[in-house]
Amino acid sequence: MKNSVLYVFFLMAVSLSGFAQEQKMSAAEVTSFKNGVNATAKNTKTLTTDFVQFKHMDFLSKDIETSGKMSFKAPAMLLWQYTKPYQYSVVFKNNKITINDAGKKSAMDMGNSKMFNKLNKLIVGSVSGNVFDDAEFTITYFKTAEYNITKLVPKDAALKKYINQMELYFDKKNMVAQVKMIEPSNDYTTIVFKNKVVNAPVPDSVFSN
Amino acid sequence: MRRYQILFFLISSCLLLSGCAVKTVKGFEQQAPAVTNYPVTYFSDAKTDYVYKAHIAIYGRDFGGIFIAKKINDTLYRAAFTTEFGNKLFDFEITDTSFKVNYILDELDKALIVNTLKRDFMLLLKQNHAVQEQYEDKQNTVYKSGDGKRSNYLFLDKSSGQLAKIVNATKSKEKTIISYTPQSNILAKNIVIEHKNIKLKIELNYLEQ
Repeated sequence: MKNSVLYVFFLMAVSLSGFAQEQKMSAAEVTSFKNGVNATAKNTKTLTTDFVQFKHMDFLSKDIETSGKMSFKAPAMLLWQYTKPYQYSVVFKNNKITINDAGKKSAMDMGNSKMFNKLNKLIVGSVSGNVFDDAEFTITYFKTAEYNITKLVPKDAALKKYINQMELYFDKKNMVAQVKMIEPSNDYTTIVFKNKVVNAPVPDSVFSN
Repeated sequence: MRRYQILFFLISSCLLLSGCAVKTVKGFEQQAPAVTNYPVTYFSDAKTDYVYKAHIAIYGRDFGGIFIAKKINDTLYRAAFTTEFGNKLFDFEITDTSFKVNYILDELDKALIVNTLKRDFMLLLKQNHAVQEQYEDKQNTVYKSGDGKRSNYLFLDKSSGQLAKIVNATKSKEKTIISYTPQSNILAKNIVIEHKNIKLKIELNYLEQ
């Protein structure tokens, strides 16, 4: 009995400390944050960055770590390239997805698939910061000392089956620093961006597979 | 006319008979079994996250992904498959005698697909094979083990002592072949699952983490 009371106090302490770190933004803060991100997104013509991806599954002893490079060119060209521990790249361009899997190439037309369009919009949006689509998501806003955090819960039933919640961590310069995608099973994928270069010339030829 | 009928009947019977016996251990010498059970050790280490880059070729189409297997306890395995981006496509719980779907993407949730995956991954992760017959040639010792209406032929390479392949066959036809390239007795660095009755090939390459 004594133990369980202690346990409850412990849980409360943990959750309170969690709340202390991550605070809900006020309405005014949300507006100013959104304006900031939209302005940054508008001024981002190109973006190149390294990324590290951590796949967390509850039954694994450690997360699966993969890494690579990402290039973005406004309005909607995206190269997502894994270089470690394998070579795999995906290009989103002109409503098409092309994949190069260690030399094996394939292509998909997104035009026919509502689902792919939504995923594409989400991926491009989360890189460029252009994600505040209230029609598509229920969005809540939080802040910590380091980040402004946007939590997106899909409204669309089809998208809901893939993603329970998407969390975007923006640094105080309004750039996406981290993306966390939580699956319906509560397993999640975290992608951390580093070595970001904004508005350096990126030729179109980068976006070919 | 009647003579031709008899000739035709004889020829067809010959063809049928020769087509009847599975060719897996043709030319091998049968011996008395030296063991009653053969334990497969490739996925046996509970401390190892068995993470593989996967290529799936099915009827001319190619897919990639990450295959993950983990020994949870003495009898239970988790087997999961994700895309390169981390989205989970399926997650199974497997023992030598049972199969449970924790999650499967709607688009893959078709009886034919689930049954094929079930058969393949139950065979891949089967720990104990009761040995009924034993065969031998210069290169291999082969254990034959019953598997419902089918049989599994386990080929052990004599020089290394390691399991080199498993042939899953009916009395007359080979259905599935799993080939291993061992790295150690607890790890196969390359695994190929090849189907004979459908155009499906799954290749797994171990990812050093």
